[in-house]
Amino acid sequence: MKRGGFILVLGLLVAAAAYACVYLACTSSARSLQRSDKPELAWLKAEFNLSDAEFKRVSDLHVAYLPQCREMCQQIDAQNVQLKKLLAEAPNVTPQIDAALAESARLRTECQRMMLRHFFQVSQTMPPEQGRRYLAWVKEKAFLPDYGMPKE
Amino acid sequence: MKTNEPSNHDEALRKVLKEWRTDASLPPRFQEGVWRRIARVQAPAAPPVWAVIAHWIGTVLPRPALAATYLATLLAIGVTVGWAQGHQQTARVKDELSQRYVRVLDPYLAPRQ
Repeated sequence: MKRGGFILVLGLLVAAAAYACVYLACTSSARSLQRSDKPELAWLKAEFNLSDAEFKRVSDLHVAYLPQCREMCQQIDAQNVQLKKLLAEAPNVTPQIDAALAESARLRTECQRMMLRHFFQVSQTMPPEQGRRYLAWVKEKAFLPDYGMPKE
Repeated sequence: MKTNEPSNHDEALRKVLKEWRTDASLPPRFQEGVWRRIARVQAPAAPPVWAVIAHWIGTVLPRPALAATYLATLLAIGVTVGWAQGHQQTARVKDELSQRYVRVLDPYLAPRQ
């Protein structure tokens, strides 16, 4: 019984140790991505096999783009507040609502143009094959027909 | 005198039993049921499950071939489950980071402070 019990426990320990070793080995890349300063950029580097020089150019473009994005966010938020206020007060579609809707559409177009410009710039800093792959992926993510809608 | 008493008593009982009549009918397969119950009572009780397992661990598991198979099986299970869950977790993290990348760049999806 003593020997049998020892073998039983040893088997369970072997299984637990094997699980832990393999799990930690398989998730090491994901953990190192999560530990980095900017995990999303670290993911981009790993996903598109960027060299350090390419990654630096992409990071510079990213950092330069963020203030424009923030500025655009503020304009969108302000426009949304304006539109909501007009919709709350008006009993019908007024010229002011028309103008606000047109401005919202203009902002969306401007936003998409700005993003697209950034995506092209980033893709051009990558090796051609990776750049094509990046563009295909990012266009699908940011310009889907069900833009912003959760997939079923 | 004393020795005759039970005999007389038996005789009287036998007589009464011979004269005893009943109209009640037995339920179907009564005799078979009685024998089945007797057999069930006489059968030795099955040992409890833990005793079977303990016996198996004490006598069968230490056999070298079985012990090696047992260890190899648990090793394989540990490796397979670790590999599957590790890949699943990595895929989940990468998917989350890719979505985060798009959210950071898209003013319509960007988290507001």
